[in-house]
Amino acid sequence: MAWKDLKNKVKRQLSDYMDLPGDIMLDLPKIVLVGNLQVFIENHRGIQEYNPNLVRVVVSDKIIEVTGENLTLRNILPDEICVEGKISGLVFLS
Amino acid sequence: MFFKLLNFLCGYVTITLPEECLEKFVNIATTRRIYLWEITNSIDNQVALKVRLRDVPPLRHIARMTRCRFHIIKRSGVPFFINQLLHRKALLGGALFFIIVLYALSSFIWFIDIQGNKSISDDKIIAVVRQVGVHRGVPKWSVDTAELEKTIIQQLSGLAWVGVTVDGTRLEIEVVEKVLPPDNGAQIVDLVAKKDGLIKEILVLSGHPLVKEGDTVTAGQVLISAAIPPPEDEENDKKIPDVVEEDELQQQVQFVHARGIVRARIWYDGYEEVKLREQEKHPTGQQITKLCMKIGSKEIILMGPRQVPYTNYIEYAEVKRLPSWRNIVIPVEVITIKYTEQRICYHEFNRTEALRLAGEQALEKLRSQMPEHVKILHTDLREVKTANEEDIVRVRLTVETLEEIGVEKPHQ
Repeated sequence: MAWKDLKNKVKRQLSDYMDLPGDIMLDLPKIVLVGNLQVFIENHRGIQEYNPNLVRVVVSDKIIEVTGENLTLRNILPDEICVEGKISGLVFLS
Repeated sequence: MFFKLLNFLCGYVTITLPEECLEKFVNIATTRRIYLWEITNSIDNQVALKVRLRDVPPLRHIARMTRCRFHIIKRSGVPFFINQLLHRKALLGGALFFIIVLYALSSFIWFIDIQGNKSISDDKIIAVVRQVGVHRGVPKWSVDTAELEKTIIQQLSGLAWVGVTVDGTRLEIEVVEKVLPPDNGAQIVDLVAKKDGLIKEILVLSGHPLVKEGDTVTAGQVLISAAIPPPEDEENDKKIPDVVEEDELQQQVQFVHARGIVRARIWYDGYEEVKLREQEKHPTGQQITKLCMKIGSKEIILMGPRQVPYTNYIEYAEVKRLPSWRNIVIPVEVITIKYTEQRICYHEFNRTEALRLAGEQALEKLRSQMPEHVKILHTDLREVKTANEEDIVRVRLTVETLEEIGVEKPHQ
């Protein structure tokens, strides 16, 4: 585990130093929220749970939980998910 | 938008899945690059989602792997629509029949339009066209327009040009009639005076002269009448039956096309004045251009000065606007205004010079009233004197000409 932490730390410092966006270097999700109507999650690893009030999306080492009402998955592509509906919260669960 | 259109063309289905196996199903599908969209909750713990038609067989495989069944609840898109249509043979046949009939009927001539004829009636032209075998309802390919033009022009003598075009189901015949010169003798025409004048010479070729040399005539007066009364001496001889009926006399009156040459002296009067001190404008060669754009009632200067830097100038504006279509007018105009600077200078004349100039100007003015190449017999230039001396010269010019004044006019 220590080795992985060290690797991550070096990577982050390198990306900071070279001004590279974190979603490429560190394999982080890029999340775009459009008001409370849409949320785009890029660089995901699939969905874990879906129902109209809750969507869980797996990202690199965390889970993103989107809560709201009447949630639908507008589209699912291998690297992008778009959730639509009345979004009330977005939480990172590790 | 593009995606939606593509999906519609390729066809897509809406399927339902039980909620509990959705996650596995979706994850496997996405890793296999199967595009899913509009995943929404359906009734009874079922989830509805949409998938392309061509991705359905791989999806069956995934369903078997994940042990959950899906049901297709709705099929949409062009492939299904075509399939549906193929089952309704009557509708398809009707549509096909409609197209065939439309095509077939559009290959006949249903209207014959004739334009440009004034004295020759439509019926006459149609009769000629019918003789050749062209009438309402003939197929378009049987009409040889060049041949038809030729026959129409041969059959009807009063035409100068004929153009035949087939425009859709309409046969358009455009004709130009010959303009014939006034025919000889057949028309009963008087010779009347064009202008007021004094008759100098009169030569009668046909008709009965009503005026003689030395008479003054007014415009519109009959000079040579078309009606020739019976010779008077003959009447004197046959005085015996005094009660020779008037109508018999009337019968003896001959009507001809009056012809002749009538020359008359005509006077023109003109007045002109010339100031001794004349203001003249000369361009200095300086000019400036202003470019504006007018939107509605607002004017925006795009290029050039806000204020014209010249005291004396002539402006020349050129307005460009977009062409109006139907009753839509776009209220945008581009205006180019050219200002050319002018220098004002004064020109002084002495009296004799001014008099000559006024005379020339007066003659020039009168020339516009006279016919061209007219013979001027006499000109008379008089200065109009006023009681007190002014710095203006006024002249009155009288010109006497010899002109032919006869014009033809239908006899009444």
